[in-house]
Amino acid sequence: MDPSEVEFLAEKEMVKIIPNFSLDKIYLIGGDLGPFNPGLPVDVPVWLALNLKQRQKCRIVPPEWMDVEKLEEIRELERKEDAFTAVPSPYYMELTKLLLNHASDNIPKADEIRTLVKDIWDTRIAKLRCSADSFISQQEAHAQLDNLTLMEINTIRSFLLDSLNCMYKLRSNLLPGSNKGQFTDY
Amino acid sequence: MSGGLSDDGSDINQDDSQEDVMTPAELIAKLEEAWLNEKFSPELLENKSEVVECVMEQLTHMEANLQRVKKGDAKASVHHMEIDRIRFVLSSYLRSRLQKIEKFFPHVLEKEKSRGEGDPSLLSPEEFTFAKEYYANTETYLKAVALKRMPPNLQTVDMLQAVPEPCLDSFVFLRVKERQENILVEPDTDDQREYVVDLEEGSQHLMRYRTIAPLVSSGAVQLI
Repeated sequence: MDPSEVEFLAEKEMVKIIPNFSLDKIYLIGGDLGPFNPGLPVDVPVWLALNLKQRQKCRIVPPEWMDVEKLEEIRELERKEDAFTAVPSPYYMELTKLLLNHASDNIPKADEIRTLVKDIWDTRIAKLRCSADSFISQQEAHAQLDNLTLMEINTIRSFLLDSLNCMYKLRSNLLPGSNKGQFTDY
Repeated sequence: MSGGLSDDGSDINQDDSQEDVMTPAELIAKLEEAWLNEKFSPELLENKSEVVECVMEQLTHMEANLQRVKKGDAKASVHHMEIDRIRFVLSSYLRSRLQKIEKFFPHVLEKEKSRGEGDPSLLSPEEFTFAKEYYANTETYLKAVALKRMPPNLQTVDMLQAVPEPCLDSFVFLRVKERQENILVEPDTDDQREYVVDLEEGSQHLMRYRTIAPLVSSGAVQLI
């Protein structure tokens, strides 16, 4: 899956905005939005929030978890634990990137937040590399990965799945009497 | 879910008579689930033509409404953006299916021919036509380019043998939507025993596609 497709999915998350225009309720196929009144917060999907922000029609309110202290706590917890800890949002990386790129003026301490999220990401990806390595070397056939986000999974998806499939082909061809000789190559 | 309400201007969707009425939001969610499942599954999944048709209906209906509205209306641009997003998912879904049909065409046709009367179909009528044409075209091509120059007893090719089957033992990532118990996990090597795992609702796993294939069709797990 392309990272932009993961971002596409992340854009469906809801975020609070404060519009500077008024509009009555919009009845989208995916749900109802609004009504929009200047100065009053309203929940909209991120794709709409970004579009409105770019047209200078609203101010974006950062999500609750996008706060320096909370993120510092999460980062410390992530560094201490061996397993993956719970994430502030299943799309934390994409939302941070989108909101900080387009609406950093609405988000206090944007640079610190960027650094903190990057630290959390780096720690998690390092853990993911280690656990993928041990998965392969111990030839496991099952793993549970509850707290991983889609973007993290997507980072190692093609490499990990292709390697596992390759190894499976090699091993199963060693088994006597297996007629699994006909496999797709890419 | 009976009495699912329509929004302003859109119609209530009817699934094939057995299902309850779905709201448009649920329909779009179903489309996205089908999209992800099709993207990540190693084999061609069941055809979701009711979902595709309903989504097309919603899109054409919404576009017709937008034609009637004057240009520059604030709401129109928001609706257009949403239509574009839904259209992207739909096209990507159909494209995934076509890619798999092209990749596995003899097996797909074989499966479709040999399915029972009441079983859900693998291909939509258009996809079936496409698959048959692709088969015929490939045969013609192979004949014209190579086979007719071969010695007479080697001039046929068995497509089912020549084209690799989908590898159902590929690993996939999945998220559990309905709790499942006692799913068998078979390790590759001989010296490891088989064992069972329980799949808790909301958990995510990495395992072989073969064991969980029926769960994907039934909607109990979602590939991610």
